[in-house]
Amino acid sequence: MVKFKLFINKDEETEYLNEMAGKGYAMKGFAMGFYTFENCRPGEYIYQVDITEGLFRVSGDYRDFMQEMGVEIVCLWGPWVILRKRAEEGPFVLYTDVESSIEHYQKIKKALKIAVILEIACILMEVISAAGMTDRESVMLPLAGCCLLAAIVIFIVREICRVNAILAELRARIGQEETNRCLGSRSPSLLLCLGITLNGISLAIPEPGGSALYGFAKGALQGIALILMGAGIAITVMGRRE
Amino acid sequence: MEKQTPLTEALFYILLSLRKPNHGYGIIQEVEGLTDGRVVLGPGTLYGAIQTMAARGWIRIYSEETDSRKKKEYVITELGRHVFAEEKKRLEELLHNAEKMEGDTW
Repeated sequence: MVKFKLFINKDEETEYLNEMAGKGYAMKGFAMGFYTFENCRPGEYIYQVDITEGLFRVSGDYRDFMQEMGVEIVCLWGPWVILRKRAEEGPFVLYTDVESSIEHYQKIKKALKIAVILEIACILMEVISAAGMTDRESVMLPLAGCCLLAAIVIFIVREICRVNAILAELRARIGQEETNRCLGSRSPSLLLCLGITLNGISLAIPEPGGSALYGFAKGALQGIALILMGAGIAITVMGRRE
Repeated sequence: MEKQTPLTEALFYILLSLRKPNHGYGIIQEVEGLTDGRVVLGPGTLYGAIQTMAARGWIRIYSEETDSRKKKEYVITELGRHVFAEEKKRLEELLHNAEKMEGDTW
């Protein structure tokens, strides 16, 4: 069985994989958002998601260690490692103290920050390519690309905010001071994300040729996008917790 | 360099269980036994701790079995013993002072 799902939140992903294993579907592979499952006894495995320093690889040390622990490395994707252990061998939790959990979430935060930097580099490339264009029609496509990439950036920043909140909570538990966070408890609103995405889509739609209905649809889409972006910015600035 | 003392509970107990050569699973079992099941080290926590302490020179690889199931054994180093002794001294001071003050005031 193959299912398409995109997770940015590794805790939700872990929950999903364990829920599927509970129903008798053991995750066996992952690529580009497609999860492959094979049948298993319901609840046969417990899944956990780890993060490593490398991409698509783990050290020999890690591999040997997990094998000794009876933990199977199911698949590698980017910096992520999907692990599983037979439930009959007892509980399976990767990080069992506050200190190592903090290290774990710090690694996640670092990976998310690198992703943001890469996305911003892509946006700059789109802008450069747009600047080189002369006619109004073809300039719209890279601009649409920018909007979609910007929406992804905001999405990742939201996840960084979530990880920050987890880190703050963990640090408070061992009495560590919170490191200063520029965003405070604020997280960019999902509406902002949605608005920018819609704006990108509306830019990608070619100019109306003559049909009034077509022009109206494009205009309406842009209008909705603008309202969503405005609302998104307002909610973000007012710092409402979602 | 991170602050080395106080040691986290995990590092403290792992060092303690490496006074004799021990492998990953053996460490988990020994720590669980010592604490009556209160401290059960997860694989991620133990792996990170071993990597950190090996990098700091507190523990070293003792042996590596050559068969297919590679079980690496680790053992504490002189530096590791020193760090442990320092931490023990610190903990003894805490306890000593607590007992002294308790006698006075309560």
